[in-house]
Parts: sequence; C-alpha cells; structure tokens
Amino acid sequence: MSFQDFLLSLIPPVTILILTWIVAYSLRTFLRRLLKRTVPLVATHVSRIVWMFVWLTGIILILQQLGLRIDLLLLLVALFGGALVLANKDILQNLASKYFSDVYVPFKIGDTIKVREYTGKVIEINPMSTILLTEKEELISIPNTNFLREIVVNTTPKAWKEVIVPIIIDSEIDLAEFEREVIKSCNKFKLHLDERFPPILTVKSRGERSIELTLTLIIKEYGKKDMIISEVNSNIVEIIEKMKKKKKSRPRIHFKA
Amino acid sequence: MIFISLKICVNTQTPLLKFNLNSNLEKTLKALPKPLDLTLLKENRDYNFSPGGVTRMVFPLLKELTYKGLLKDTHWVSLNPFGPTKVIVDGITLNHISLPSEKLKGYGITKEFIWKTFHGLTQDLGPITQIFWQDEFSDFTFYNRLSAERILKLDRKHDFDLFYIHDFQQLAVGHMLHTLKPKIFRWHIPFDESSVPEEWRDFLSLYFNSYDAIIVSCKKYIKTLHHLGYNGKAYYAYPYIDSSPYVKPTKQELNNFCEKLKIDKEDKVILVVARLDPMKGQDRVIRALREVIKDFPEVKLLLIGNGSFSSSKQGIGLSKAERWLNHLKNLAKELEIEDKVIFTGYVSQRELNAAYYRCDLTILPSIKEGFGLVVIEGWLFKKPAIVSVKAGIAELINEGENGLLFNPEDEEALAYKISYLLNNPKKARILGNKGYDTSKKCLIDEGVKVESDILLGFL
Repeated sequence: MSFQDFLLSLIPPVTILILTWIVAYSLRTFLRRLLKRTVPLVATHVSRIVWMFVWLTGIILILQQLGLRIDLLLLLVALFGGALVLANKDILQNLASKYFSDVYVPFKIGDTIKVREYTGKVIEINPMSTILLTEKEELISIPNTNFLREIVVNTTPKAWKEVIVPIIIDSEIDLAEFEREVIKSCNKFKLHLDERFPPILTVKSRGERSIELTLTLIIKEYGKKDMIISEVNSNIVEIIEKMKKKKKSRPRIHFKA
Repeated sequence: MIFISLKICVNTQTPLLKFNLNSNLEKTLKALPKPLDLTLLKENRDYNFSPGGVTRMVFPLLKELTYKGLLKDTHWVSLNPFGPTKVIVDGITLNHISLPSEKLKGYGITKEFIWKTFHGLTQDLGPITQIFWQDEFSDFTFYNRLSAERILKLDRKHDFDLFYIHDFQQLAVGHMLHTLKPKIFRWHIPFDESSVPEEWRDFLSLYFNSYDAIIVSCKKYIKTLHHLGYNGKAYYAYPYIDSSPYVKPTKQELNNFCEKLKIDKEDKVILVVARLDPMKGQDRVIRALREVIKDFPEVKLLLIGNGSFSSSKQGIGLSKAERWLNHLKNLAKELEIEDKVIFTGYVSQRELNAAYYRCDLTILPSIKEGFGLVVIEGWLFKKPAIVSVKAGIAELINEGENGLLFNPEDEEALAYKISYLLNNPKKARILGNKGYDTSKKCLIDEGVKVESDILLGFL
C-alpha cells in the first residue's frame, strides 16, 4: 500500500470521528435545553449517558472502518455486561434506587421517617441502604430498593415545605458568583417562598472537576411546589450556561493562595 | 505543659490594617517584594491599625499565642478593598479580600440591617424578613462565600487545624466551609433574648449549628444560643484589652490635652469614649447633662470617638458617623449647652490616656452593646463608671459596689447618678478602685488564657 492509499484509507475513520464529535456535542446541547426544567442532576446524567453512547458507537464504527473485526468484541462486551448485571442485580437495584431516591423520595439526612414498622432519624444514605437511628439508639439499615416499593412517611415537622434542588456545577465556575445569581433569581418568586428563610446553597461534595450542591428553599404552599422546582431548575441551567460562556470569553486569571 | 503548635486561620470582616493609599504608597507597594513585609512601611504615614476589636483583641491574642509557641503559620482573612492582597505582620499573614464597589455597597446595606436589628434599632427598617429578598442580600452571601473560598484555598496549602471566625458579618462562612475540621465562631454584638427576631430563628439556627463551638461575650448570651437550638459547645469569654498602652500621662501631655480642649482646672469632666453611632447613645448623656449643669455649672462632657471601619471612606463608606455627629451637635445647640460638650473625634493613645486620667467619671450610655471594653479602660485609671444595663459588661457590675447601672431610656436616672458621683468624690473613688479590681477579668492575660483553653480544647 502506497502512502497515498494509506492516507485515503484514513479519510472515512477521521470523518466518522469528526461526525461523532459534532453529533455528541449537538445532542448534549440539545438535551440540556430539552431537560432544562427537570432536576439539573437528571439533566446532567442523561446528557452524559447519551454523550457516552454516541462516542461508543462512533468508536465501534471507526474500528470497523479500520478493518478490525468487531463482532466478536461486541459479543464479549454484551456477555460480560449481561453477566455483570445478573451477578450484581441487587446491588444495581439499590444503586438505581439510591439514584432515584436522591431525586424523587421526599426525605433527607436529619429527617424522621417511617418505612413499614420502622421509624427513625435518617443518619446516612449510602449507595446500598439508608440508615435509621431509632429513639432507642438502634441502627436500622433499609435497602434502598424499599423506598421505591414501600410507602415512606416523613414525620419531620413541615418537611413538605422544604424543597431541595440538587445541582452539579463545573469546578471552574466561580461559586460565589454562581450563588449570587441563584439567590437573585429566587428573589423573583419570593411571594411563594417562606419569607423567614432565604435560599441556602450548600456544598455537598467537591471534586477536581465538579462541585455537588443543593439549594434549599422553604415554600409557602404545596400547590406551587412543582412550578417552583421547574422555574428554579430552568434558572439554574441558564445561569450555568451564561457563566460557562462568560468563562470561555474571558482569559483565565489565577491568584496565588 | 502544652507542646502543641496549632495552625489556625482567622476570619474577620474588619482588617487589622488600614492603608493610607496615595500615589507614593502605591509606587512603593509595587516596588516591594510580595507578600509585603509590614516592617518596610511606616505606621501613621503608610498605614494605621484599625480601631476596635481586631486591633485590641484578635491581634494581641494571635501575637501572644504565637509568642508562646502555641500558634504557627497563622493566616488571617479579612475584607480590605484598599490594601495589598497579602501582608506579613509579626509572623501572621494577612490575606485581604477585595469586593467590587457595587457588591461592597450591597454587602454594607445588608450587614447594616442585621447589625441594626441586633441592636434593637428596627424602627425605620420595615419588615424584618425583607432583607433576605433584596438583591443586596446576595452581595452579603457573595462576600461570605468569597471569604470561605479563600479560606479553603489557603487550607489546601497550609492544612490548618482549626478555623476561627469572628462576628456576625461572617456568620455564613461556617456553613460554607465544607470541611470537618473544627470551626469556632466568636459572636461580639448584643445577643440577649430580645435581640433575636423571632422570624430569624430558623435561619440563624442553621448557621450557628454549622460551628463546632461558639464563644459569646458574656454568660447570659449562652442562654440565647441554647434557645435558638444550638447543639454545639457554647462558651463565654469576656472581651479583653492589653493594659500596657493605658499609662499615666506625663504632666506635659496632660496640660497639652487640657489646653487643646479648653478644659480648666476646676472643671468636672464626664467622659464618653464611643464611636459616633446612634446605638452608642451619646444623645442620652447630652440630655442628662442639661440637668447636671444646674448643680454643676463647671461640668464638661468629653465625647471621644469617630466612625467605624464600615463608616470610613476606606471601609464600606457609610456616612452614618457624620450624620450622627451633626445630630449630636444640633442637640447640644438646641439645649443651649454647646459650650459644655466637646467633640474630639479620633485621639491618639496618649491623648486618650490624658482624657481618662483627667476625667471624674466615665459613662457607657449604649442602647445595646455586645460588651463595652471602654469601661475597662476607664477602670484601669480607677475612674468610676456609669454603665447602661443594655451592655454586656453590665453583668460584671454590682450596683454601688464597683459601678453604677442605668437604663438608657431613663435620662433622669442618669442625670441623678452623674450628680451623685460628682457630689460624692469619696464614693466615686471607692467605685473606681473596685472597678480597677474587676478590670483584671478583662485583661489580655486572662482573656488569652480563656480563649486559648477553648481553642486547644479542640485538639
């Protein structure tokens, strides 16, 4: 094969690579806009999964273009994946339940809840189970799957008033400025919030690449809860996008600690 | 015997130093190596120590603990929009935070609102919860977050053992410091039950509970903390001063001071040392003075003090002090006693000593006061004190034994007590001497001991 032929053979894989990048980027942007009014955590995860899927497909196609046999590889990946799912069915169920309960189940650490005959204060929510501390100082571990199947009663006074919105932001985003914008945006619907309790942003964890936060709001009436959550989510996505754009258009400044 | 050296990070709003920035100093600062070594600048020309608690309490505490080997690599984060970002003074690294002017203004408005609320000056504030829903509140949060972020950044580099956060302006910092390391908060402003608005309880409780320990200025404030649902460790530690600058003035210094302020030998001098602020209640003393003058025409009221960091041009730029000064001057004029009231503004330490030495009694007329260290200053000169019951230091006074108490709303009672002391020099002397004994509870050695015990208790 001449050098020219070699170069020509590279055109299809390179084209697929570029197309994959374009599709992945466009889909992610599209999904973010589409999911603007959902919980930011869900939007982030969905767009991340789609992005990974597009890239996986792109890589398989590139390998195929390069003349490598991928049918065996696909079969092995599928078998391995299937075995993994079967072997860890309970763990995966709990992990999934934990993920969904993070977003949808109405309790948090510190709340007092009742599940079946068990009542206690939630002191830990780990990927597998939720730990309750009873009045007798006993620890009860409840597998997370139960929270999707069982009726959960949150007996914490005024728990219904508390709205906790999970947020993930890029660690490069200026947290102080982000918080300022979020608080200002919440002021716009203050009529529906408990005036005694300002919006509170709490850092839950901090990684090199991202910061996990929660925004706590105390609402006045239950009927407006969904609307408030939707509005807040939409505002947060907009703020994040705006700050990302601002960041890109500005040279990075570092100051020494 | 303690062999531990702590690495701590202190956070205050008020910076230790105020720089007298001009084109010359700016040029000098540019040429000097960074971080700036303060010994390369000249006090009074290039910088001044900020008046108030940071210079009188926080700095001496840190110096003392460093000297005793209990602290090393101490960092101090504070707001200083007009200074170099990093300065080293006596082995302590000062890290200055700057805020853009529009955010500084919003921050100032919010902190003023909170401050007024805790001092009971709520008449013109409107609904107490409105502050949370104004854009200025987001500037307040912004400043707190900026402080917390700077502290965390320093922590990644220096690995502190604990964080020591001072005063209400920084209250949210504890919640924002995402770390398990001990966080101690010191609350300086009034904190009796009546100071805390019912509507703020949940919000305050959340922030207070993000601290492992809270130190308040007097015993009765601990009760308020518990009523708010605070679950951590609560301590009280009286504020304290370093007594060494409070020395007897020389004859020359005294003469110069009296000459400058036209105080005659036979004059009876009533002294109020307080910053110019409505909460300090100087107006009460002016009104009481009109009654006192009837029996003591030779009396003179000396009002020493100017604005705070917040009201200074180098600080947050609020003009509260000027407005209050005008009000007091007009009041004295209205009462036709303007020749009896002397406003000195800022005075040097030597002049302050002369004032304490020359006066017949001191008054702390505050409507509300976290503590009231000026009473201790007067006691160091064995001067009798008449103290507002609304001040934290009132809990150290046994009526008629080491001082006199009065309700700042009752000017008649104040006038009576001033006249009583001027009429009874022997009793005044006894009160002054007993006050001197009491002052030992609020001197730096005792304060450092109490505070270092609390800090070291976290190891």
